[in-house]
Amino acid sequence: MQEFIEHLKKGEFRMPTCTSCGGKAWPPSHRCPYCLSKTSLKKIGTTGILLEFTSSHIKGKEGIFGLVEMSGIKLVGSFGTGHLKEGMKVRMKECGVGSDGTAFYYFMPTKA
Amino acid sequence: MRRVAISSWATSKFAKDSGMSLLELACEPCAEILKNGVSGKEIDAVLFSSCATDQYSSTIISEMLGMRPKVSHRIDNLCNSGTNAVTSAFAMIASGLCDSALIIGAEKADSPGNKLLWDITRGSFMFPVHWAAIFAKAHMRKHGTTEEQMARVSVKNHKNAARNPQALFKKEVTLNEVMNSKKIADPIKLLDCSAPCDGASAVLLVSEGKAKKLDNPVWIKGIGQQTNSASFANATGDLTTIEAAKRAARYAFEMSRTNPSHIDVAELHDAFTILEILAYEDLGFSKKGEGGRFVDQHEIAINPRGGIIGCGHPIGTTGVAQVAEVASQLAGKAGRRQVNGCKVGLVHNLAAAGSSATVIIMGA
Repeated sequence: MQEFIEHLKKGEFRMPTCTSCGGKAWPPSHRCPYCLSKTSLKKIGTTGILLEFTSSHIKGKEGIFGLVEMSGIKLVGSFGTGHLKEGMKVRMKECGVGSDGTAFYYFMPTKA
Repeated sequence: MRRVAISSWATSKFAKDSGMSLLELACEPCAEILKNGVSGKEIDAVLFSSCATDQYSSTIISEMLGMRPKVSHRIDNLCNSGTNAVTSAFAMIASGLCDSALIIGAEKADSPGNKLLWDITRGSFMFPVHWAAIFAKAHMRKHGTTEEQMARVSVKNHKNAARNPQALFKKEVTLNEVMNSKKIADPIKLLDCSAPCDGASAVLLVSEGKAKKLDNPVWIKGIGQQTNSASFANATGDLTTIEAAKRAARYAFEMSRTNPSHIDVAELHDAFTILEILAYEDLGFSKKGEGGRFVDQHEIAINPRGGIIGCGHPIGTTGVAQVAEVASQLAGKAGRRQVNGCKVGLVHNLAAAGSSATVIIMGA
């Protein structure tokens, strides 16, 4: 969904949310996967739980990453710290589209 | 529903660079089948499995091979493409729409299918190895699976590949070599991973009527396919299970009236070593959480061709090559890597973070 990307480029995480049933279309889509009505972008809570994390050593893709469950959706977040634990509360600190054209969602523990 | 048999198969030698175009590559295993007693005039359907986006490719290949089939089209479903083409061909023959279908898988090493750019849920860690590392971490944490157990999958599959003349990797590897190979995404190391390559494979499916002329037909007894999502985010709830594979297995076992204890030989999707361990559990070969210890069992011959790790992973080809291997084993024509006395075989294939899966059960 292009509108989602446009907001992401500006550092805003806006969830395509169903105008009829309130369901979340994730990955982003113009229609709700539950009732197929149209979606519109809404602000959602960006505090979630870190389900699992590990580190990447691929050249150009180094870093810590983990699967986060946040406001009923899951996404792979980037982390700047190694002091993480599965099940801990994390918050999206920043998001955007990197110079290589890929989305990023940068998270931090709620209590550093 | 009519019964469907596999009558012929061929797989070309997998290579980093075959020096051939995609379409030339695709013709190679077909030429082997068509030069060995099968007439192109008898083929009703040509299904081309590839993630390459070359237009009209299935029909071009048909023309290059001098065929005028009724049906011809390409099937793309990432790594699952080849097994999905088998599903389609099976349905066409079982329904009576066709009497024979040639399934061709071909892929170049630089396939656009190697990365699923659409899946924005993966953030900046979008390579397949990244989701595989998450699955591996979860399995280690919840079930005590070790890096060494994963490494043993690689050792076994490289050992098997060394006996397969079509495999990309010819060299056996030691446990130490796997354990000390370059870290890619913790705990996954270079030798826990498969490699993209050029490769092609083809299988010919025929109706019961045509199969009667064969000496030892290999029958497709059951197929299960399940599509849970396309994204990693929605693929699975429990990170230690590929839910689509569990369900596909259930469908295939029900359809074939078999259960895991009947399986003598299996080709499992091992693009990363952890996936083979998950498959042991998802297919019911081992109890949940015991997949790591199942690596050293000797009751079922698993990945006798070397799997994806040993053979290489030309993604649209893999599912076809897996079916060709199990057919060859069940027909007793697997040469140096023949599994003695195998009667029932299974193919398990996945795509994109296990978001979809296919299980095929075959019998002599």
